[in-house]
Amino acid sequence: MNSFRGFILCLGATFALPWIFLIVVPFKATSNLDVVEFEVEGEKVTYPPARVGAVRGAEVYARNGCAYCHTQMVRPTYAGTDMWRPGWAGRGGEESTLRSTIPQDYLGEKYAYLGALRHGPDLSNVGWRITDRKWHYEHLYDPRSIKPTTIMPSYRNLFEKRRVIGQLSADAIETFEKNGETWEVVPSNDAKSLVDYLMSLKKDFLVPDSLAATK
Amino acid sequence: MSSDTNEIDINLRAQIDRSLRFPLLFFFTSAAVWLVFGTALGFVSSLSLNFPGLFEGCAFLSYGRVFPAQMNALVYGWGMQAGFGVALWIMARLSRSTLKNPATVIVAGHVWNAMILFGLFSILFGWGTSIMWLDFPKAFAPAVVGTFIVIMIWALGMFAARRDREAYVSQWYILASILWFPWIYLTANWFIHIDEGAAVIKAGIDAWYVSNMIYMVLAPIALASAYYIVPKVIGRPIYSNSIAVFGFWTLAIFAGWTGMNRIMGGPLPAWMPTFGSAAAIFLLIPALAVAFNLVKTLGSRSDWISYSPSLRFTIFGVFAFVVTVALGAIMSIFPAGKIFQFTHAQAGYDLLAVYGFYSMTILGAIYFIVPRIVGCEWINGGWIRFHFWFSAYGTIAIVAFMVFAGMAQGYIINNWGEDFLTSVERGKPYLASLCLGWGLIVISNIAFLFHLGLMAIKRGRTDEVGPTLIHKQPEDYFAETELSKEGANA
Repeated sequence: MNSFRGFILCLGATFALPWIFLIVVPFKATSNLDVVEFEVEGEKVTYPPARVGAVRGAEVYARNGCAYCHTQMVRPTYAGTDMWRPGWAGRGGEESTLRSTIPQDYLGEKYAYLGALRHGPDLSNVGWRITDRKWHYEHLYDPRSIKPTTIMPSYRNLFEKRRVIGQLSADAIETFEKNGETWEVVPSNDAKSLVDYLMSLKKDFLVPDSLAATK
Repeated sequence: MSSDTNEIDINLRAQIDRSLRFPLLFFFTSAAVWLVFGTALGFVSSLSLNFPGLFEGCAFLSYGRVFPAQMNALVYGWGMQAGFGVALWIMARLSRSTLKNPATVIVAGHVWNAMILFGLFSILFGWGTSIMWLDFPKAFAPAVVGTFIVIMIWALGMFAARRDREAYVSQWYILASILWFPWIYLTANWFIHIDEGAAVIKAGIDAWYVSNMIYMVLAPIALASAYYIVPKVIGRPIYSNSIAVFGFWTLAIFAGWTGMNRIMGGPLPAWMPTFGSAAAIFLLIPALAVAFNLVKTLGSRSDWISYSPSLRFTIFGVFAFVVTVALGAIMSIFPAGKIFQFTHAQAGYDLLAVYGFYSMTILGAIYFIVPRIVGCEWINGGWIRFHFWFSAYGTIAIVAFMVFAGMAQGYIINNWGEDFLTSVERGKPYLASLCLGWGLIVISNIAFLFHLGLMAIKRGRTDEVGPTLIHKQPEDYFAETELSKEGANA
């Protein structure tokens, strides 16, 4: 039985090594990742700035599997050219703000949806790229009405049909006639939260050079 | 061996097979149902990539839900479950002990299937977590580990009661995966869902989890099966025991470090993905060791692949293992990785690991085991041939085209002057073959499910012709060999 015990010990040990050094220690070391304080031109700045988290929207994002087609990470130049793609990094592509993503970018989120595939564009800074809520609603409802060749499915399940009484809702994206009455398509709460979340996606703030591998 | 001990041996084997009959048939048939379901979802997800407007209005068929459901069905519904059956049987045969309590295993098996059912429904109806391979709602986690332990504890029991002091390499692999799965699974769930930590590290742990599931849970079961099936069918011992030991320990040492290379360039400390990349390259050592050992074991009898279904599926799986690891190694070096990362190639790699390598090897074992536990032979060699070729062509088509598609797509993504949608456009021509490949795989598995179903209700052949082979062997080709081992009486 001795050799069996030795065998199990070895099995445990071979796995314990990566388990401790790749998982447990880094996890603990970063678990109290904090806002960074630094100075820009003599002024104290923090990163990330206090920002209302869009937790509910992140949930809608997860439940619909958005992360299977969209990434949320801008790779540094040794691993790709994401930073140079117009609008992907920095504040709407402003050259002095271009940088890759860092751990602090995801503070306040439950899970960082870094993504698996890029069937669609990276969303790290979509909050800068698209500033129009209506655009998001229309794009979610019927992606091909905006980008004819996109392969994004439509998310009609995030919208509700409602009979129009009085005026049209401000965020109605479509109207149609049924039995002589006018109906409108409006975003559901899920759609609103999701768009809140998308508009909050900005991983672009100025950080000290020690944190960001720029250019 | 005297004829007396031979008789005792045959009796013992019959007892073992009898004790395992119902749990194994339960695992194999339900796994095969999930296999058909999972591959059918694969077909659906590939359809929606080709025709994005096709399922408009059916949220549960949208790509973002079907794709995770497909992988979870394949990994947990089919993969793990078929793995239970194969691992229990190999453990019982090699330890020469019977399964003491089949009823508990069957009950646990029902719990497992109920979990898969609810888990997949949760994903499809919008309660998935979008955490790769951990898409089931987190409440499922304790049940997954609990059920796994209730089932696999019997393999440990049989090992403890073994008659030979010596342990075989197949047993090593099975023990390893029994130890590692709860460890890996609980680690991933604990750090992702429960412990407070940086969101980014959680994503890293998920990438690590996926890779560890492939190399530390699924691969050991498949390799245990390959190390059992090849020598058994061929009728000679493994070529080199020391290479087997070497392959085992190198896998154990390197596999745990792999995974984070999936998100290389991500917002993690750079050394983490780098370690993953290095380990992914070192994995070539165990992969080549295993393949070399098994091919050498085949030796001059490699033409048996034409006849024995188990051997053919297993050898295909072993080669797919080498290709999987090689592809993983290529994708994890920076110059290639920055092209392949986040493209179709990544999906192709996952499919190659789960279907080309793991599933094909396990199917080989199922073709070997089922005649023994039900006491009749597979009905038709033609059906098996059909299953093999459609699955093999399907996998090869998908993986090859996905790698090309990934190159085309990745090239454009890195060419920042081009519009992003151009990268989608460049991938499109290949997506048609993705559909075709999945179609072939689904059809082949429907044939397999049908064949297996007939075997389960004992509609197999019971004549004296011998084992069912893929091709009829030439007259007295096997006169002096032991291919009879393939059949129900071995």
